[in-house]
Amino acid sequence: MKLSILVPMLLLISIATYSQTNIGGFVLNQKKQPIVGANVYLKGTYAGTMTDAEGHFEFATQKKGEQTLVVSYVSFETKEIIEDVVKMNSLAVKLKEDVSSLDAVVIAAGTFSSGDNSKVATLKPLDVVTTASALGDPIAAFQTMPGTSTVAEDGRLFVRGGEADETRIFIDGIRVFTPYLTTANNTPTRGRYSPFLFEGMTFSTGGYSAEYGQALSGVLLLNTINEPQQEKTDIGIMSVGATVGNTQIWNKNSLSVNVSYLNLAPYNSIFYDRNEWIKPYEALSGETVYRHVFKNGLLKLYTAFDSSRLEVIQEDINFSDGLRYGITNDNFYFNGSYKGVLSENWSVQTGMSYTVANTKVKYQLSDIDDLENSLHTKMKFKRFFSNRFQLSFGAEYFLTDFKEDFSDEIFPSYNVGFQKNIGAAYGEFDLFLSKNVAFKMGLRGEYASLEKRAALSPRASLAYKVSKFGQVSFAYGDFEQAASNAYLKFNNELASGKTQHYIFNYQFNKNGRILRTELYAKSYDDLIKYDTELPFYGSNFSTEGYGFANGIDVFWRDNTSIKNTDYWISYSYLDSKRDFKNYESEAQPNFVNTHNFSVVVKHWIEDWKSQFGLSYTYASGRTYTDPNKTGFLNQKTTPYGSLSLNWAYLLTQQKILYLSVNNALGRQNINGYQYANTPNGSGVFESRALLPAADSFFFVGFFWTISEKGSDNQLDNL
Amino acid sequence: MKKMITILIFAVSLSMSGQANYQEGMQQAFGLWGQQKNTEAVNLFERIANAENSNWIPYYYAAQVEIISGFAEKDIAVLDANLKKGQNYLDKAMALSEDNPELLVMQALLYTVWVAYDGATYGRKYSKKINKLYKKAEKIAPTNPRAVYCHAEWNIGSAKFFGDDIQPFVEDLEKSLDLFATFELPSPFYPNWGEDRAKILLENCKS
Repeated sequence: MKLSILVPMLLLISIATYSQTNIGGFVLNQKKQPIVGANVYLKGTYAGTMTDAEGHFEFATQKKGEQTLVVSYVSFETKEIIEDVVKMNSLAVKLKEDVSSLDAVVIAAGTFSSGDNSKVATLKPLDVVTTASALGDPIAAFQTMPGTSTVAEDGRLFVRGGEADETRIFIDGIRVFTPYLTTANNTPTRGRYSPFLFEGMTFSTGGYSAEYGQALSGVLLLNTINEPQQEKTDIGIMSVGATVGNTQIWNKNSLSVNVSYLNLAPYNSIFYDRNEWIKPYEALSGETVYRHVFKNGLLKLYTAFDSSRLEVIQEDINFSDGLRYGITNDNFYFNGSYKGVLSENWSVQTGMSYTVANTKVKYQLSDIDDLENSLHTKMKFKRFFSNRFQLSFGAEYFLTDFKEDFSDEIFPSYNVGFQKNIGAAYGEFDLFLSKNVAFKMGLRGEYASLEKRAALSPRASLAYKVSKFGQVSFAYGDFEQAASNAYLKFNNELASGKTQHYIFNYQFNKNGRILRTELYAKSYDDLIKYDTELPFYGSNFSTEGYGFANGIDVFWRDNTSIKNTDYWISYSYLDSKRDFKNYESEAQPNFVNTHNFSVVVKHWIEDWKSQFGLSYTYASGRTYTDPNKTGFLNQKTTPYGSLSLNWAYLLTQQKILYLSVNNALGRQNINGYQYANTPNGSGVFESRALLPAADSFFFVGFFWTISEKGSDNQLDNL
Repeated sequence: MKKMITILIFAVSLSMSGQANYQEGMQQAFGLWGQQKNTEAVNLFERIANAENSNWIPYYYAAQVEIISGFAEKDIAVLDANLKKGQNYLDKAMALSEDNPELLVMQALLYTVWVAYDGATYGRKYSKKINKLYKKAEKIAPTNPRAVYCHAEWNIGSAKFFGDDIQPFVEDLEKSLDLFATFELPSPFYPNWGEDRAKILLENCKS
């Protein structure tokens, strides 16, 4: 090519580049209102501008042909328009609101979440461990939420008129079969798992996702820490034992090991206790978490073992020498899970858990030996279409093998057991129509091998934002749960129990103040009935039981109005009756309080480096049967009240002194009455009040974290 | 040969006009930021980043404007939206320049905004991450003054909160001032802030 041709050509090109095209139009939201300050530009060029007060934009470009126009604005989805530049005039660009923004509607019916950036966070992780009455047990902390009943001698979660085993606990989406420690009769239990393993907790008191089954009343979802940030050693010395933990991090791996030993003998020798201890409570437990980060996923292997024993003589109306009760429990739990990204839009979560629990009970002259082997495997896929539409589906399988050996010097011995297999599959979608309207709909199918029966459970919820800070939600769901081991061991063919939940929720959330009210109605069907005083080998079982639970839950939390103070108030009203077990007629069960009220307050005093906590619980009386009067569950106990106080003092950033006292005022709470099996000489059944082993409980602990360059502390661990 | 020269001249002049655009645009954006026209400044930084397409620096400043203004934001919904936007810019910058100490420092500052907003809630979630980021930045670039200064400021804040001795961190702060004095900008518009604030902080610590 000759230079004489090239030069004019170059000139032509450069002239061409300097001839300009105007691009212009308006940027609007979905309500056709102008968006002011939106950024508008041509991809790959310096040409661009931002919209004015009318949402108008206009700029010139030297580019020709098909180009990409980018329009972006905070809290809206960025839009790209591919078009010939000459057609890019008088544009009307409509931006959609980003439904993942903090002020978008959330599906909130039934759920309390304790995440951190979570939009529905009503309990933060630290709250769980600084609640005065909880003593570091997440289960006890959730008992200060509305929707729970106060069953002080039990300690487990009783949700909305449901029994304790109607609330299931999951770690990383995988079922925990034996979540509670074993205790003596009439002594509250605790959760087996320490709170500092978890970074997020969600407690749902009804209407939960189709992903979760085999739970009639509630689910508590605990998610373990994904990636520890620092190598450290934790040491704790407590009035009831000691604990030591260590975390190591190398390459893409981390390993945390924790061992603790509890012994109540010294405590029992100092403080008065109504029980006569032969072998005070002693427990050794250990747990490890191994995590490996893959390029596109995370593997977590969690293993826990604990062994506990105790032996006690407890007062009993029918035995003048008291009732002898001993228990040893060995529990092994493994939970492995993998969470990964398959492609840009697909993700997978899979896992399995395996439990071996061996409980040996000595009850007077009887020996009862229970062995449970349980397995849960699960796989779940999620397809992300957009912020506005997501689909998930999965399948899971539960297996429980249960054996009981009963031997006694007087009664005939027996061996019973069963193997229960349950397979399930579910699918669910989340749909945001706008920032103000969201749906979630799912369907769950289950097949249970023992009863040879399949069931379909639909679940649905809808949330609608009614004002800047307020929203309403509605949820509906069908729930199924296999009969508990306590009955299945005597009769293998019992069918699953059922409930239906209807929930209406109103939530107001503004600058650290949350008001949450929930109205619900639950109906129960196919509950277990039997015709003996206690379920036994020879009882006649049926599934003709039924019941209902209706109520209102109110929750108020405020962490901004009073400086350095955070408090929440819960109130629950519950109206529930059942005809199940050996009930003669429909009655209010003894695990139901009509009114439950609790307040939790935390106050930080900077100058003293101290956090003070207070929690108060009031619950109206529970039912019991007085055989001297006519009727079944015909009496109610006096109300329950307890005030707990705690003090956490930061000696330094890494050393904490912690003191707490439960039921500080020493109020004598009566959990019920025990009546003699036979009337005395004057024809009266004598009775005895069921009192806790001790009215108050004191706790002192010193916690020390050793890490590189003191930046980690144990405030989290308390 | 003549042909070659012509093409060469043409190519150079083209790239020079690109360079001029960049310089002018950046200066204009800094001007807007100086007049506290934050939205305008961020939008311009975003447009420059989009045009430059392999330069992390405009994304860095777009993120910085959002992050710095976040320290004064009281409405959590607005803060969350702005920091998401800032995070988005940072992610893009990090994709262009891996293990960049300046970007690690900026990421740590973004988390610090959350901690400053609500320490009780976000301190637990982010304080360890913040430390980890500063340590990583200092390991990659031991002479970067901002990594040393910001880490010292963070440590002094935590130590004061927990009533610990701040002296070791004051020494880090002094060290950062030495580093500021000798730091040479590797490229135009490379981050160059922090020295004045480090001096003020040091005076406050000593008085």
